[in-house]
Amino acid sequence: MDIALATLLSPIVLFFLLGLAAALLKSQMTIPEAFAKGLAIYLMMSIGLKGGVAISEGDLGLDAGLVMVSAVALSFLLPVIAYALLRLTTRLNEVDSAATAAHYGSISIVTFVAAGQAINAAGLQTSGYLVAVAALMEVPAIISALIIAHRGAGQGENVAGSHRGELAREVLLNASVVVLLGSLIIGWISGAAGMKAIEPFFVAPFQGVLCLFLLDMGLSAGRGLRNGWRQLGPGTVAFALYMPLISGLLAAGVAALNGMGPGDAALLITLAASASYIAVPAAMRLALPKARPSVYLTLSLGITFPFNLIVGLPLYIWLARAISPGAS
Amino acid sequence: MHARRRLELIIERMAAPRACKILETSGLTGYTVLPAISGFGGDTRWSRDADMSASSDMVVVVSIGSDDKVQAALTELERLLGSHIGVLSVGDVQVLRPERF
Repeated sequence: MDIALATLLSPIVLFFLLGLAAALLKSQMTIPEAFAKGLAIYLMMSIGLKGGVAISEGDLGLDAGLVMVSAVALSFLLPVIAYALLRLTTRLNEVDSAATAAHYGSISIVTFVAAGQAINAAGLQTSGYLVAVAALMEVPAIISALIIAHRGAGQGENVAGSHRGELAREVLLNASVVVLLGSLIIGWISGAAGMKAIEPFFVAPFQGVLCLFLLDMGLSAGRGLRNGWRQLGPGTVAFALYMPLISGLLAAGVAALNGMGPGDAALLITLAASASYIAVPAAMRLALPKARPSVYLTLSLGITFPFNLIVGLPLYIWLARAISPGAS
Repeated sequence: MHARRRLELIIERMAAPRACKILETSGLTGYTVLPAISGFGGDTRWSRDADMSASSDMVVVVSIGSDDKVQAALTELERLLGSHIGVLSVGDVQVLRPERF
């Protein structure tokens, strides 16, 4: 209960709620688009660097490798479950279901960052290699969803003007993957000594920048919800609320099998429970252009992201403590 | 002044490179891509500031050329719009320097 209240009353969640309320009340407040993109890159660089430094200090062993393999397998599996549930419980067609399933198998890096703050505030420690896990979990879900979608007739058609390699480039070289993995490698190479020189820029202002970014996220989520809610039936809305819990439970199983500590387990559970709204939508516009963005974006950004931030994080920390050996 | 055709395509940003490639292979000598801010279509409102991924952003592609080149582009653009969100229109315009189109 204390963790739930502390998470809810933390500045990052409160700024998110401010943005959400402003958008729902049709406030004209905006954060310039280019500035918001800069903030996103800053946050990814910061967590990538911190993860890289942690790895340089011996954070990467066989256990970490096993977690990475398990996380990738989980990311391949989650869209299959999500697709089956969407087809069983909603009126979404095959393409919309496949595109939505991809979002729920991939991850949200902002939820990951917010979870890191909440986990640290709860007094738990996390490992740097989980940044690499986050980057690795971006892509497999997209591949799974494309396999599912291409089983349907007509989804393998060649779109006019398309060319070989454009989807692979979008999926493998999107900004999240490049910045996260790039910063991780730079942090790994430069180590703690290198980090010391850039610490005043990448460590001290991090919380404040995150607040600013979450304010923008609140605005985006609120406007997305306002614009897209008409496209959603009750079954689809319910999916956006129960799917993170199913994904989280499966990730808890993976964490328990790998003997992860409570902080790392909470991060892995959050990653699995989160839904992408940056990397996957772009890939889906190229790969499955007939899928409706108003459905999958409203679900992932308008419903699942706020749910995870407000309700999910305390729940995932509690679950991680419950399944981790020796956690109090 | 000289008569030419003006092609205007409002299309999702992610598909704009595909549209531009079609224009280039059709022999059109130039085009301009402009950002769109917000709009309504397919029973959905959209705006640039509601999508963090910018994947549902729309752009406007404008190109001017001779009738045969525009017609050649239209066949492929029609195929493209079979998959992607967009609106295509063609109109008559007058240009000052015909050798450029």
